[in-house]
Amino acid sequence: MRRIAGIVLAVLLIGGVVAAVVAGREHGDKGTATKTVHIVIGSEKAEFFADPDVVKALAAKGYTVQAETSGSWAMEGLDLKGYDVAFPSSQAPAAELAAKYKVRGTLPRPFYSPLVVVAHRGAAEVLAGNGLATLDAKNRGTLRMAAYLDAARHDRTWQQLKGAAKYGELTGTLYISSTDPETSNSGALYLAAASYVADGGRVVSSDADIARTAPLLHKLVSVQGAQQSSSDANFRDFVSGAGNPLVLVYESQVASLLGQQRDPGDLVVLYPDTTVNSDHTVVPLTENGRGLAELLGTDPVLRKLAVRHGFRPQGDTAEFTAAAAGHTAYLKQQLTGVRQAPVPTSKVLHELARRARG
Amino acid sequence: MRRAPLSRRSPLTGTLAAAVAALSALSLLTACSTERKKDPDAPEPGTVRVLASSELGDMTPVLDQVRKDTGLTVRPTYMGTLDAVDLLAKGKADSRFDAVWLSSNAYLRLRPDAAKKVVSETPVMSSPVAIGVKTQTVNSLGWQPDHVTWSQVEKAVADGRLTYGMTDPARSNSGFSTLISVASALSGAQSALTDADVAKATPRLKEFFRGQKLTSGSSGWLASAYTRRGNVDALLNYESVLKGIPGLTVIRPTDGVVTADYPLSSLAASDATARADVRRLADDLRTDAVQRLITERTHRRPVVASVRPAAGLDTSRRRELPFPGSRSVADGLLDSYENELRRPSRTVYVLDTSGSMEGDRLSRLKKALTDLTGDFREREEVTLMPFGSEVKSARTHVVSPSDPQRGLAAIRKDTRSLEADGETAIYTSLEKAYDHLATDSDTFTSIVLMTDGENTTGDDAGDFDAFYRGLGAARRDIPVFPILFGDSDRAELAHIADLTGGRLFDAQQGSLDGAFEEIRGYQ
Repeated sequence: MRRIAGIVLAVLLIGGVVAAVVAGREHGDKGTATKTVHIVIGSEKAEFFADPDVVKALAAKGYTVQAETSGSWAMEGLDLKGYDVAFPSSQAPAAELAAKYKVRGTLPRPFYSPLVVVAHRGAAEVLAGNGLATLDAKNRGTLRMAAYLDAARHDRTWQQLKGAAKYGELTGTLYISSTDPETSNSGALYLAAASYVADGGRVVSSDADIARTAPLLHKLVSVQGAQQSSSDANFRDFVSGAGNPLVLVYESQVASLLGQQRDPGDLVVLYPDTTVNSDHTVVPLTENGRGLAELLGTDPVLRKLAVRHGFRPQGDTAEFTAAAAGHTAYLKQQLTGVRQAPVPTSKVLHELARRARG
Repeated sequence: MRRAPLSRRSPLTGTLAAAVAALSALSLLTACSTERKKDPDAPEPGTVRVLASSELGDMTPVLDQVRKDTGLTVRPTYMGTLDAVDLLAKGKADSRFDAVWLSSNAYLRLRPDAAKKVVSETPVMSSPVAIGVKTQTVNSLGWQPDHVTWSQVEKAVADGRLTYGMTDPARSNSGFSTLISVASALSGAQSALTDADVAKATPRLKEFFRGQKLTSGSSGWLASAYTRRGNVDALLNYESVLKGIPGLTVIRPTDGVVTADYPLSSLAASDATARADVRRLADDLRTDAVQRLITERTHRRPVVASVRPAAGLDTSRRRELPFPGSRSVADGLLDSYENELRRPSRTVYVLDTSGSMEGDRLSRLKKALTDLTGDFREREEVTLMPFGSEVKSARTHVVSPSDPQRGLAAIRKDTRSLEADGETAIYTSLEKAYDHLATDSDTFTSIVLMTDGENTTGDDAGDFDAFYRGLGAARRDIPVFPILFGDSDRAELAHIADLTGGRLFDAQQGSLDGAFEEIRGYQ
């Protein structure tokens, strides 16, 4: 059956090429023929590409996008033949993909989003009451990374924190749930931020740096047990009331939920005082892919839609600031005061992830 | 304390293929009766072939709605987590399925060779492990359902005030998650379980599992056996399963649970069309309307914030117990459960070796039994009772932890010497099996009946009914698991299963190996 389908498809394709050529001759080249673009994306962008308005905006420019999700670091292991674009959630995996598929030129980075930690109100208050966080709005605060890492280093449990006894679910080791750093971007960036703070505000680069930070990173990961492979899954669990009290997600996931006027419950967004932005980076693999990549960063309609899905477009910050105005109880309009940890090279990051998991 | 992997699964090839073929055949019958004879595994436009947890059997009304929404038909093939993950890891799911939909991908992630087969995962709904306790027992224990810990459950078991049933962790997702929940909670581990935690918790776990009076390869049979027995106080399973059983107070222990999040996962080997279909399926499953239908019809919890959990699903939070981060811990725990923690099984195999078994049928029986010896657990007591016109012999072997190979070799030797002759005295032989079984042993006791024909001599069905009714209560709790094989009579065997609280297994559609293997979950 499949083989027959394959043959039929091949015939159709050949026929299609002929038809296209014929059609091209007949109608002249008006440039509006729809180009179907196959794209593999990090899970956090799935809703963006599924949004009917995004579909419409892309169609207006002649694109039909078929998107599929994958862990950003897992894209390296995929056979991307037949895909036009890979769109991982940060620069490092994008750079690796570009090298692998010999993509030249600057890789467009249409939008970005910082990593944040979501907690339910009770957990956030306990953290604040114990000097691990500060709360500066009803549903917004800052996670003090150095204090958190110190607690992790000492295997601090929730039971040891003042005020935790009120909440039955707050028992066991205090930790942030992340995704698998070996396959997923947010998990890897978590290690980037943690290693930067743990090493006294330095980017891990040498073997000695790796050796020094590895034990703590291993602890951060091993306490979690089996990790989710996508930040979407982690956030879903959180929203459905399951999962760990502290979950590392992208700000965009929260902003998107708020933008849809969906009730976020008693969710609190904690911005780590040192975090990492995920720079969603496009790797065009074909000519059509390059066209799409260009469009994502420059088309005003698509930029606006990116904001609707919680992303911060590169360059001008006005669009996000305006959109977040109604949600300042949860979101920071500007990321002033949030330190950006530089990300180690992908070789180093891979090694950190490997040691953390091992 | 690691041991040789005695009870690691027997070669999966035959049994899995059989199970898949049988199940696909079933779904084919219901799905497209017009196109018989077609390869049931073949892809079909508009049909998504899903390797699924058996718990998802309750999703039929939801999937009907999805078909209306999207035009996509889901064709499930049900399988336990471990078998499904094995199938994926060996690349055998690649062309047969378009998606995998297990109750959780936690175990899958511990197997890199299986994990890399999966491209995207979309959690669809969630349900925590819980304990459903007879309301009367809750009252007599003085429990407040919102404030019960696993330690309290353990204490009630130790005091002889609570017995329960659960599914087999090696064959059922719910059983596996239950085992992880109990082990994590009772070990006192503050984070993900380690080998050391499991070793430390072993004495407590042993005590805890003494309270397990029912085991089952599926949640469905567990519920009916529980209702029939009437003398078991509780069931451990997913909240969604327990909510569907009348008369149970469903308790999520406050010291933590493992939650299933049912990720619909697309496969790397699928083509673009199949993956697009899986994505459409996933999108539709997360619409508000479908999420509402899911929570109302299946008692699972929605994963979108805009839909509230169905009435009766308490929304207070629980600690999520982390799933082990390494395969050695997960497999080690499973291994201890099978060989050390759970009560051992005690089984009489009543085997038809009448004249009609001569030739191919007898060799298939011998092969199936020989293969099965790879799956017997330590401490297990096995009696082979071949019969023709009467019971020919009854030889009992124990798989001793100190020398498991000795018992297994003896079973294989007895199997080799089976010979076909005589008539078929099904009922008289079954009666002998009941006589053979003592009722004071602390085991999961059952009888497996394999026959290739109808009863031709000795007692008839009426005699057996009278015999069974005359048994004491403890013996009446021993179920018979008949296997339909050769020319055996479905109605006759179904009656035996119904009468004794067993379950009929079909080796006419599937294979004899497959049937023996599947019954393991019930022993």
